[in-house]
Amino acid sequence: MTTLKYILRDTWRLIVHHWVLGLLTLITAGVMLWILGVTTLFSLNLENLLTRLESELVVQAYLVKDNTINIDSISERIQSLEYVYRMRAWSPSDSLAKLQEKMGSQSRALDMIGDNPIPWNFEIHVNSARDVEPLVKALQAMPEVEDVVYAGMVVRRISALSRISSRVAFVMFMLSVIITALVVYNTIHISLYSRREEIGIMYLVGATRSYIATPFVLEGTLLALLGAIIAAGGIVAAYFPGIAFIQSNLPFLHSSLITEQGIIWRFCALLAGFGATLGWVCSYLVVARFINAITKPE
Amino acid sequence: MNIMFSGVSKIFEPDIAALVDININIEQGEFVYIIGQTGSGKSTLLRLITRELLPSRGTVAVGDFDLRRMRSADVPYYRRDVGLVAQDFRLIQTLTVYENIAFAMEAMSVPKRIVAERTKDVINQVGLWRRRNMRPAQLSGGEQQRVAIARALANSPSLFIADEPTGNLDFHTAAEVMKILFAINSAGVTVVMSTHNQSIVNASRQRVIELDNGRLIRDEIGGTYTG
Repeated sequence: MTTLKYILRDTWRLIVHHWVLGLLTLITAGVMLWILGVTTLFSLNLENLLTRLESELVVQAYLVKDNTINIDSISERIQSLEYVYRMRAWSPSDSLAKLQEKMGSQSRALDMIGDNPIPWNFEIHVNSARDVEPLVKALQAMPEVEDVVYAGMVVRRISALSRISSRVAFVMFMLSVIITALVVYNTIHISLYSRREEIGIMYLVGATRSYIATPFVLEGTLLALLGAIIAAGGIVAAYFPGIAFIQSNLPFLHSSLITEQGIIWRFCALLAGFGATLGWVCSYLVVARFINAITKPE
Repeated sequence: MNIMFSGVSKIFEPDIAALVDININIEQGEFVYIIGQTGSGKSTLLRLITRELLPSRGTVAVGDFDLRRMRSADVPYYRRDVGLVAQDFRLIQTLTVYENIAFAMEAMSVPKRIVAERTKDVINQVGLWRRRNMRPAQLSGGEQQRVAIARALANSPSLFIADEPTGNLDFHTAAEVMKILFAINSAGVTVVMSTHNQSIVNASRQRVIELDNGRLIRDEIGGTYTG
């Protein structure tokens, strides 16, 4: 308990002694972690949107008109393809009924065609846009399949968007982490350097390395934690109004956005924990390295 | 705490021999002067005792510790039993006299009440109670040296190492510092002090170990220093 009191007092002294540097670190860490948080949330929302779009992607496979075809056997073969998430077989009569329902009052036009022209067909859903192209190829290779209909351009664009958004999010994440880590590392290094003589004296009079190191590690952890809390505050302040704005202007996106407050609060808690951990790791590394060098006998 | 040097050499890179084949045995409670010209190896010898340096060859043993084989984690516990006073005082400029002395005990997690009592005791012992709230820069050289002595005394060490403690002081102030060191020694503490001050060595006739170019050239009880 006594040691803890001394360590906390020394941590406070360190922060007060380098308050300008501490403030700059706090602001930088806050801004970088805010960018990290916003990028992550943007990426999560985009992922949600893409997942919804992907779940709505449908590949329609039409069979050749041949009464000898065994529908159950083809159905099993299509079902066994690895890209198929779920599928439904439509008989010619069901397909016609669906079409008539879609056409509404204009469905009488279909009577002029005569015999039902629609063959047995399968409505196939995939897990991901990336699965569409290989699925289409696999279906086209089947002799019983006459035609495959799908939104090729949409699929390619969604796939590309998904890839780009993942990469951009990853780059932003890494940049934010690296910059925050460097700033905390640098601040603690300056703090250590300015007190190198004191550290040497402390070690010489019998202070343990952990006693000397802990205030510096705590300083770095506290600065990064406070930066993360500021970032979390900034995210809460910006996110909910931003979502409200998007919902009012782009209502079709409503169901794809993360709007649940609980998720955002949990995300902020996670960000604060991440900030503190990042600060702790950086401070620990720089302090261990510095104190090892300064206390090593020649 | 007894000190034993067995065949100790210290060579600094690339090939500067600071100490060559030193064999010394200092018993508990002795007062020993380490004398010699500048560059003779006095400070190197003391820094080997405080384990700021490690010998290139040979063994340095202090009490039960073999300093070369000692684990780094044990070093702080060893140093708590060694009081150190340096020529340049090594005081923390941002702390007051009181804080400079107290922090040596705080580093050992001594409770605040005991720190307060002990700090008051040692500050009184070196006669600086009225200066307790001043910072080192506000004190004279002699006063700063007394603060350093008080800090070294704070943890009641069994071994007291003083590296030219009177080097920067006038004769009168140096005599005051020496009076304190003799008082410490009379309480049974081993004192090892380096100096090139002839009058101090000749005034008290203690054991004298003389070094020249890193070699031990004299080890004499009740010796003098003729320079």
